[in-house]
Amino acid sequence: MSEQNKSIGALAALCAVIWVLAAIHPVDRHAWILENLLLVLFVFALSLTHRRLQLSNASYLFIALFIILHTIGAHYTYAKMPIGLWTKDFLGFSRNHADRVAHFGFGFFLAFPVRDLLLRFSGIRHGWSFWLPPAIILAISGFFEILESIVAEIVAPGKGVEWLGGQGDQWDAQNDMLSALLGSLIMMAAVLLTNGKRKAR
Amino acid sequence: MKQPHARFIDNSFLQIALACYVLFWIALAIHPIDRSDWFLENLLVFVTASVLIPTYLKFQLSNLSYALILLFLAFHAIGAHYTYAKVPAGFWLMDLLHLKRNHYDRVIHFAFGFLLLYPMRELFQRSARAHETWAVWLAAATIAALSSFFEILEGIIAQVVRPDLGAAYLGTQGDIWDAQKDMTAAFLGAILTAVLLSLRQHIRH
Repeated sequence: MSEQNKSIGALAALCAVIWVLAAIHPVDRHAWILENLLLVLFVFALSLTHRRLQLSNASYLFIALFIILHTIGAHYTYAKMPIGLWTKDFLGFSRNHADRVAHFGFGFFLAFPVRDLLLRFSGIRHGWSFWLPPAIILAISGFFEILESIVAEIVAPGKGVEWLGGQGDQWDAQNDMLSALLGSLIMMAAVLLTNGKRKAR
Repeated sequence: MKQPHARFIDNSFLQIALACYVLFWIALAIHPIDRSDWFLENLLVFVTASVLIPTYLKFQLSNLSYALILLFLAFHAIGAHYTYAKVPAGFWLMDLLHLKRNHYDRVIHFAFGFLLLYPMRELFQRSARAHETWAVWLAAATIAALSSFFEILEGIIAQVVRPDLGAAYLGTQGDIWDAQKDMTAAFLGAILTAVLLSLRQHIRH
């Protein structure tokens, strides 16, 4: 086993342990299954492609961080996540913003591996590698909102945004997408700054 | 891909296409139904022009790409003139298919993906130097991203500028899933062009 495979194995094991712990008595089993559907598909796709499209260790670390974040969110269901409830009470928000943090985390953590993927395999020039990942993150985020609306119509027809994800926010989809976009832009800015420093040295 | 004409002065196709669009645009700029809505819709045209004109000096797309962009902007000009919810063609469609609302805006969202995938793919292939298969996917993703970005802007405008009117403001026409449907339309348009392009590739080989 190569050095990289060892560290990927360790990350996968860590994620698996947290996932199993979170799978025990989740707050809402139905919501948990729904939230985990996409996660399972994502991990399945990663494991299928990882030989052909191998990413850097840093990329896998960011992916693992996002998986852990989502695993915890799925355990509590985002609307009932304790940290979100505390901040809601503390800062006087009208809703639990944990899901928005997760959308932000989606953009922030996954923009890095997306950029890595593009630089390694797509052939794009360096300069383009900073704004294409935010575009891809935003596209996936939009696609996710479309899926969410279809699921909402199937599970709770007519209830619309009142159901789960929306928590009654009429502009929930737009605000979620904006969070993801901001997360990805901040990550790209961070990469740009650290790259610049490395060059200056 | 064929190398496009480097100079505008030598490119009679582009000159004629641009002249047609400008005449069309001027005709529709006269007495629009709602001047402030017309202005808001035309911000898109001003932004597009301010990107495409300066970049033309350094990087030219093919004539087909420019024609597709102009065609899209022409459809958009119709929407801006009548305001999207009141475009006559949309009402005909409404009567023809017994729809509940004017769907012209959704047709234009579809056209956004359908017409602009090709120029986007060309940009990624020639300027970003993406490999052929990646370029199509990146173009489709960018279409979806721009469509999402547009919905975010619409949300911000409605929340910040007109919070009292909320979803009734502009595009949504009272549909809670309007944003999602608009994005789906753009995405399907882009996918359709991507499929057509790959079919053409297969026929050629």
